[in-house]
Amino acid sequence: MSVDTQLEDPGTVAVAPLLQATGVTKTYRTGASAVQALRHLDLSVAAGELVAVMGPSGSGKTTLLNCLSGLDDIDAGTVMISGESIHEMSDARRTRHRAEAMGFIFQAFNLIPVFSAVENVELPLLLAGRPARAARAAARETLERVGLGHRLDHRPAELSGGEQQRVTVARALAGRPLLVWADEPTGNLDTETAGAVMDLLRELNADGLTLLLVTHDDEIGAAAGRRVVMRDGEIVSDERQ
Amino acid sequence: MALVLVLSLPFLYVVARKPVLRRLAVRNARRRPRETMLVLLGSLLGTAIITGSYIVGDTLEASIRRSAYTQLGPVDEVVRTQSPEVAVSVERTVRALPAGTVDGTLRILGVEAAVATLGSNPRAEPKATLLEVDFADARRFGGDPAATGIVGATPAPGEAGIGADLARTLAVGRGDRVVVNAYGARSELTVVAELPRLGIAGLSIVGVGSGQSSESPNLFVAPGTVARLQADAPQGAAAAASPPLSAVLVSNHGDVLDGAVRTEEVKGVLHGALAGVPATVDPAKQHLLRSAKTNGDQFTELFSSIGFFSVLAGILLLVNIFVMLAQERKTELGMMRAVGLRRAGLVGSFATEGWLYALAASAIGTVAGLGVGRLVVLVAAGIFATGDFTLELRYHADMASIQQGFTTGFLISLVTVVVTSLWVSRLNVIRAIRDLPEPESRRQRLATAVFGALVAVLGVALTLSGISGDEPFSVLGGPAVAGLGAVLLLRRWLPRRALVSLVSMGVLVWAVLAFEFFPEAFENTDIPVFVEQGIILTAAAVALVTQNQGAIGTFVRRLGGGSQNMSLHLGLAYPLARRFRTGMILTMYALVVFTLTFITVLSHLFEGQIEQFTRKASGGFDILLASNPANPVPVDTVRKTEGVVAVAEQAVVAGEWRSPTTEGEGYDGWPLAGFDETLVARGGSSLSEIDPAYPDQQAAYRAVLANPSLAIVGEFFLQEGGGGPPEAPLEPGAKLTVRDALSGRSKELTVAAVSEGGFTNEPALVSRRTVDEVFGPLATTNTLLLAVKPGTDAQALAERLNGQFLANGADADSFRKTVGENLAQQTQFFRLMQGYLALGLVVGIAGLGVVMVRAVRERRRQIGVLRSLGFESGAVRKAFVAESAFVALEGVVIGCLLANLTAWRLVGSEVFGEDMSFNVPWVQLGLLVFGTFLASLLATATPAQQASKIKPAVALRLAD
Repeated sequence: MSVDTQLEDPGTVAVAPLLQATGVTKTYRTGASAVQALRHLDLSVAAGELVAVMGPSGSGKTTLLNCLSGLDDIDAGTVMISGESIHEMSDARRTRHRAEAMGFIFQAFNLIPVFSAVENVELPLLLAGRPARAARAAARETLERVGLGHRLDHRPAELSGGEQQRVTVARALAGRPLLVWADEPTGNLDTETAGAVMDLLRELNADGLTLLLVTHDDEIGAAAGRRVVMRDGEIVSDERQ
Repeated sequence: MALVLVLSLPFLYVVARKPVLRRLAVRNARRRPRETMLVLLGSLLGTAIITGSYIVGDTLEASIRRSAYTQLGPVDEVVRTQSPEVAVSVERTVRALPAGTVDGTLRILGVEAAVATLGSNPRAEPKATLLEVDFADARRFGGDPAATGIVGATPAPGEAGIGADLARTLAVGRGDRVVVNAYGARSELTVVAELPRLGIAGLSIVGVGSGQSSESPNLFVAPGTVARLQADAPQGAAAAASPPLSAVLVSNHGDVLDGAVRTEEVKGVLHGALAGVPATVDPAKQHLLRSAKTNGDQFTELFSSIGFFSVLAGILLLVNIFVMLAQERKTELGMMRAVGLRRAGLVGSFATEGWLYALAASAIGTVAGLGVGRLVVLVAAGIFATGDFTLELRYHADMASIQQGFTTGFLISLVTVVVTSLWVSRLNVIRAIRDLPEPESRRQRLATAVFGALVAVLGVALTLSGISGDEPFSVLGGPAVAGLGAVLLLRRWLPRRALVSLVSMGVLVWAVLAFEFFPEAFENTDIPVFVEQGIILTAAAVALVTQNQGAIGTFVRRLGGGSQNMSLHLGLAYPLARRFRTGMILTMYALVVFTLTFITVLSHLFEGQIEQFTRKASGGFDILLASNPANPVPVDTVRKTEGVVAVAEQAVVAGEWRSPTTEGEGYDGWPLAGFDETLVARGGSSLSEIDPAYPDQQAAYRAVLANPSLAIVGEFFLQEGGGGPPEAPLEPGAKLTVRDALSGRSKELTVAAVSEGGFTNEPALVSRRTVDEVFGPLATTNTLLLAVKPGTDAQALAERLNGQFLANGADADSFRKTVGENLAQQTQFFRLMQGYLALGLVVGIAGLGVVMVRAVRERRRQIGVLRSLGFESGAVRKAFVAESAFVALEGVVIGCLLANLTAWRLVGSEVFGEDMSFNVPWVQLGLLVFGTFLASLLATATPAQQASKIKPAVALRLAD
């Protein structure tokens, strides 16, 4: 079953959706067996929303994130971001689009170990074609904003888990993206650090950032403005709080 | 092989009794078959190179030993006498010796002669050997008729039995007629038998150049033929010529090789029995076998020394692979430790995996080594077929050498993997699980400092003892060891980059300039010293570059477009951050490229020296004309030849020598030339060292001319074989004894100077009076040096003289042609070594391939992240290519620069003479650099392509 929030409650979204997914289907094939990870899924997200995607393991949360962000291909359906169908773009165009319009936060931080904190943060800016000096300045500013102004030149191995995740957040935000995808952003953190990171994300959302985060954590789900629950590749509930 | 088994016992125990460790080791080895193949390829080349070196030595030794069968057969000793009458008496005496000493004697009479075919366009052999032997006696000689090569009846007057080599040269067979020229007389003979090059039929003991060729141009004639030629000689011709060699061949009990074991005993008996008889005993077989052993060992050493660079590259590759494996499996290993695996177990698992690799790589490498050896022999056979010292190379591999190659390769691989396993297993469990770097404890820091201090002291002591004892290894290596100690000692207190840079620079400068600072210590430098120099230079340069990679990276990034070039930015990030791994690859590349470049530069320098070498060797003359001592060319006729402006006369004879380097009580054979005023008038060949008593070259030549107790020797004097650089030439002032083997007369001589004529068989020079005094009737004017009018084609004139004096066995060539041929042979040898070294490049390139394949696997998740952040697939590919290109180029540049620098300073230090000037072979080096670089990129192409194909979502999902 899929739920289109815009259709059910049109009055709550005043502007055109930032993300519009329609009939998205994804099947993983291994030899003779096939697993349908997403089943004709529809989802619409407006600019400025904080959406928590929840559900048990294997429900298709991460696949949803990968497919809607264009990291993975889909078998059927369309995904429109800012009015552009990302799966109709060439790989190069889609890659550029990601660099310009999206940010990513992963559970395992996924920082580049041979780069310092500031180099990791400036990476997407440089990829988007920002001049080196401007990219470095923006990276510094963003790291200061997440409270890591004193750890600019440290490499990931020299940072704590919380600090690494804050660098990841800074990397996702530095290019001022339209949409940030977060996959279990607090999954590797202790409760206190997780709370701090979520406070930071909420603060950014309050400033207008659109966030779609995948989580197991009910507390985080409850704190999000909207909670989408998945099971067996379908959205079974979509609630605004 | 027993050693291999003993060393394998702990691993066999693990395999049999420790199922968990066995499972870990075997499954990890089988987990990635393609990478395992690359690891094996990198490791097996070391064994292949080592085995190949042994095979080359075996082949050389066996080829020379083969001459024991083909050119001596049952002959163990040759008793040279002054006349056939003395020979009869000697034979009678030897036969009367107690039973059990010798098992046969045979009288022969031999003389050098020119033999030609008849007709208008004759084929000729100017240096054939005419032999009178009774065929029935010859077959009985030594107890094994088949080993003598003699078949049929003794030739009757007017008939001849022809040896296979001479028959091939003249293209004659049974029934053909040939003409023999000796003592100014000629005799036409009909060939009635063809004899193989075997035993007595292949005998090579007559003449100045005997034993220096695998060929035996023999012509067996009827008894009395030589006497008839002497009788038919024109008035005075026989008197001016060398008398024939009259000898008694002695066969010891035992077969061809076993008999030589008894030579010392038989020699003693013969000396006793022949006391007072004008005859000398020449232990021909023993000498040949010794020469075989010496040459075989020399070539094994040469090829294994040169190949050592490649072996070292292989060791570094193994270390690198195991460190990478450990890093890749760090978390996994940490978990294993956490759940109860002891450190010994960790080492056991890792080392067992390494043992499997070592075993497989050594086995395959040994087989590959047989192929490498065969290839080297194939190329070397062409080189040995020409030049001063010719040898028919036949591929031969001893089982002992194959086993030794396997064992050495296995040992090197095993020690490398066990030491690396011990090192990587020293991990802290928690740090390993969290993939954090290992900090150094206070205790470790203290231990390192103490160890550093000890190493530094050892280095200083080595340096001082090396300088005082003129010991090149210590002079060169001492400061490097001291530098290493200083770094270990001081790194606690001084900034590492500044400290390592300073020490590396110091070691580099020392290793390049030590030859100039301490010329006495490096006077007779051997190849292992150059190997040591190469290793020190490379290690220092890599340390310097590694410490300054940041600055180099910044420079390269700026050059490549700064931060906008994200592929380059990322491509350089990994090698700059992973300095140990980068350093290992750099060292592999730099070591091999250094040696390859060094040999390329040297080869190029020598190739360009033909004019200088010709000038040095010719001593103001243009043509060297050698002729048959039994029928020398008439000097006056040559002097009157159109185009000839000056003639110097020499009497070249085969002498026997004792020098300070002679081993045991025996004598070594080496030719000597008696010269007169005619040589000195035009200068004589160039001298490299002169006794301080003589102000210049002219004075030295004149002193030798005036004093019959002085001699000038060449740089290769009394050296075996003929390959490689001169080894420890005698110094002016050295005492020598020269002896005529025939008469037993000898004379004490003092070296007045050392010449640098460049020919490996350059005769020692003494005054003509000395030769006459010692060698009596053997001293004939058989060699002429001719100077020609300006504008005359010297080689064309030499060829005309060969035709004109065919009957005299004239063998003339221009000095330029001879030097050119020698240099061409040398160049071929350099090429052979380059090919051999190129195997090391395969190690380096395979190593880079392995590293990149592993890098792709290791960075899968990072590639996924980069792709999710907007890094295009093409940019990922470019980043990997940039990474390998950067490392390969750095290695190639380091090796190339160091080699040129070293060669430049070596030439400057005049080790190769004063006239040699340095220049860079740009084309060859360009090809080398480009080829290596291209091959490196090709090795990276597949992993780079794989990296670019990684789907971000897949990479992230798999990783998470």
